[in-house]
Amino acid sequence: MSVNETAQAVETDVSTAWGRSRLGAFLSQPVSWVFIIVGGIIAFLSLYPTFFLFYGSLTDAPLGVPGHFTVQNYVRAYTDPEAYPLLLNSFIFGFGASGLSIVFALTLAWITIRTNAPYRRLFELTAIVPNILPPILVSISWVMLLNPSNGLINAGLVQLLGIEKGPFNIYSMPGLIFVEGLILTPLAFLIIAAAMKSMDPSLEESAKTLGSNEFGIMRRITFPLIRPAILAAATLNFVRAVESFDTPAIIALPARIEVFTTKIWREALGSFPTNHNLAAAYGVGILGIALVFVYLYRRFTSQVESFSTVTGKGFRPHQIDLGPWRYAASGLALLLLIMLVALPILVLILVAILPYYHVPTWQTWQNLTLDNFRYVWVTPRVHKAFMNSLFLALVGATACMLLASLASYITVRTKIAGRGIIEGLVFIPWAFPGTAMALGLLWAYVDFPVPVYGTIWIILIAYVTRFLPYGLRAVTSTIIQVHKELEEASIVCGAGFMATFRRVMIPMMRPGVMAGWIILVTIFMREFSATLFLYSPGAEPLGPLLYFLYLDGMRGRVAAIGLVISVISIILIAIAQRYSRWDTK
Amino acid sequence: MKFKDGFYVGLAIFALLVTAPALAQDAKMLEAAKKEGKAVVYGSLESDSANSIFNEFKKKTGITVDYWRASATKVMDRALSEYRAGRPLFDVILTNDNPMQIMFKEGIFAKYESPSAKDFPQNAIDPNLGPRYRNVVIGVVYNKSAIKEADAPKSLQDLVNPKYRGKLVMPDPTQHTTTTQWVASLEKLMGKEKAEKYIRDLAAMKPILVESLLPAAERVVTGETPIAITYVKYAYIYGQKGAPLDYVRLGKFMGDGHYLTLSNKAPHPNAGKAMIDYFLGPESMKMMAKLGEFVNRKGVYPPLADADKIEFVEMYDLGSKGFAQKKKEYQQIFLR
Repeated sequence: MSVNETAQAVETDVSTAWGRSRLGAFLSQPVSWVFIIVGGIIAFLSLYPTFFLFYGSLTDAPLGVPGHFTVQNYVRAYTDPEAYPLLLNSFIFGFGASGLSIVFALTLAWITIRTNAPYRRLFELTAIVPNILPPILVSISWVMLLNPSNGLINAGLVQLLGIEKGPFNIYSMPGLIFVEGLILTPLAFLIIAAAMKSMDPSLEESAKTLGSNEFGIMRRITFPLIRPAILAAATLNFVRAVESFDTPAIIALPARIEVFTTKIWREALGSFPTNHNLAAAYGVGILGIALVFVYLYRRFTSQVESFSTVTGKGFRPHQIDLGPWRYAASGLALLLLIMLVALPILVLILVAILPYYHVPTWQTWQNLTLDNFRYVWVTPRVHKAFMNSLFLALVGATACMLLASLASYITVRTKIAGRGIIEGLVFIPWAFPGTAMALGLLWAYVDFPVPVYGTIWIILIAYVTRFLPYGLRAVTSTIIQVHKELEEASIVCGAGFMATFRRVMIPMMRPGVMAGWIILVTIFMREFSATLFLYSPGAEPLGPLLYFLYLDGMRGRVAAIGLVISVISIILIAIAQRYSRWDTK
Repeated sequence: MKFKDGFYVGLAIFALLVTAPALAQDAKMLEAAKKEGKAVVYGSLESDSANSIFNEFKKKTGITVDYWRASATKVMDRALSEYRAGRPLFDVILTNDNPMQIMFKEGIFAKYESPSAKDFPQNAIDPNLGPRYRNVVIGVVYNKSAIKEADAPKSLQDLVNPKYRGKLVMPDPTQHTTTTQWVASLEKLMGKEKAEKYIRDLAAMKPILVESLLPAAERVVTGETPIAITYVKYAYIYGQKGAPLDYVRLGKFMGDGHYLTLSNKAPHPNAGKAMIDYFLGPESMKMMAKLGEFVNRKGVYPPLADADKIEFVEMYDLGSKGFAQKKKEYQQIFLR
């Protein structure tokens, strides 16, 4: 062996040893194992069904049938000249609905958090309620209120003003945008309100000291501080609107407005027989668009987080004294909440107590019935569905938040290489349209070696896979506010990773964890697009039950169950808030 | 013993000899079914109708039926996906003719001749799928509060009268499969040339298009739109709840057939068979008719006025290529 070769061998040995020692050092840290386990679980949950969707989009045969590689599905989906004007419609719809949700959410958040308007705390709590209602019920309620022939508001205005025709027409692009905007408002509210609550008041106080008036402070300090949160909520809601199918199916179809999701339905999912491969190709395309917006969302939220880390101490932004205008502010918040909560719930109550839905007359009041509530009370199928959904909501949301807390800790608090990938992976299943993702999950788990298909566990896996981003965002925004000193003090005192995580981080993250838990519980209580493909007969949760009753024309029963779900969800929220200090955070 | 008496005794013995093994076999099958405990059914029959039958079946046999209800297309999707992946959870499929034929061609069904099938008319028995237990009949339903009987349309031709412009709702034939089939089959009633013109005239009326047949009926119920092309049974079902509905007596009505068939990989084959036997039996068919369904057993009609005068015409079986082609064609006619 020459000198050079010997030197090279020594160098290799040293670098291998160094590599080994680095690996050894990495593996000797408990947090590294947490990273490996959590990263592994998230990568599996995210990539396994995604792989099947990609595979499905590149083959010419349905699941379980050996097919040939083809790009024909992509050619068919994206060379159709008709697709692009529809994409434009979807973008108009998405921008409009998302923009409107931001206007509503911003107004509500500002009034409830930054002003001294009366009843603001009550308004703040009520703003979460619409998240409980299944979106399809909200759309149906607004059709009953604003349809041009006999919508209740139109009919009322015709009688009141003596005009010939009601002024509103839900079957239009503005109508579509309005309803979707209302559906999207609660999520935007949660994001914007959280940013407003975590704002450092010292900046505003400094501006005040320097002589700025309230409007100047709002324009030059407050708005720039919450701008990233607004943009984050807007991008998130834009993606949700572009992917939504329920509202377009109920409102756009009669209005003869076509959007991209209704086209996917016609060409792939609603075709006979269903063309899953084409649906997967469309899904992958939407994933591409959504990922661009998810990237933007991540950029905006990282800015929110950089603003939030000004200090680690607890504070509450100062409240603006609106003087006599505070009653007007309350009036405005009340008006928004009437649209968001009161009107849809009133319509649901009406539908639940009428023998069949019609515009109420004096005779109607003699025919009111509690049959639909009796159905909920006496039907074993409904009881079983409630139990299944409660199990899924409680266990699913808890599992989701446990995973989200660990993932969030790793991405925010550690310097482990590759930690950023975890968050990217979490968003992939969310970026697919719901039905496409359900397809991927079905393909992935129907023949899985561990027999989860046909059990309730596959639904739990689906929920955690698809809705983990909500949990992650809620907990990340809190973790960022916990000052590192607390954690360092724990480590200096000799506590290990697990003890620090359990005794310092978990209690400090509790508000975020509970906020995420609340959002997830309300979604899991009523989810149906993924559940429908995956649940096994005999283990039916509420989402599919509502869907089937709707399919069978049992609107009254759907409304009654919807109302009971709302009551249960509100009880769960109240319990969660008691343990979280979420409302006072 | 006279010859005549001897003949009858002989006949009775012969009948006993012929039926005894079958009865013994039935009893054996039922015993095995009870041991299996449950049957899993995927179907598109409305949950209320299905569950009332399944509950009665459970009372009689102790066998539970787990029912997964979805649209016909979704039933087929799930059944085929599970079957191809080698994990079929279902014993029986219960849905429309077209998807049943496709599933039959995919080879997922077992041949099971239910003893209850003998009570169905011969022309309602498919050689591969068994009895067409019910027909889903499509017609024109209207709201009597919004349109007086004298002003109501009297025929399909009347629907294209300009006075009904803006008053008609129907499922989107470019999206809703059964409506695609209905529009395509109009030539069975009118002849090809007349039907083609009629379809264009119907589209020119700019009917309000909705997702499926039920939302169309619901709009008539609420009075939002007074006339709908939808299932005739809704006139009875919503009428029972007090809605002022009636249907136009068209004479000939088009529709689709429904079948139920056993899977050849049924996890509970005996329970599946026992369920099919009961389902096709007189008791369950009467129960279904009472709920407004057009069942195919002779002399059993839903309690809908003039139901016995309805002449049923089965719609074309379009096949997957036919559907795609027709949907494209109707896109040009209805959505332009």
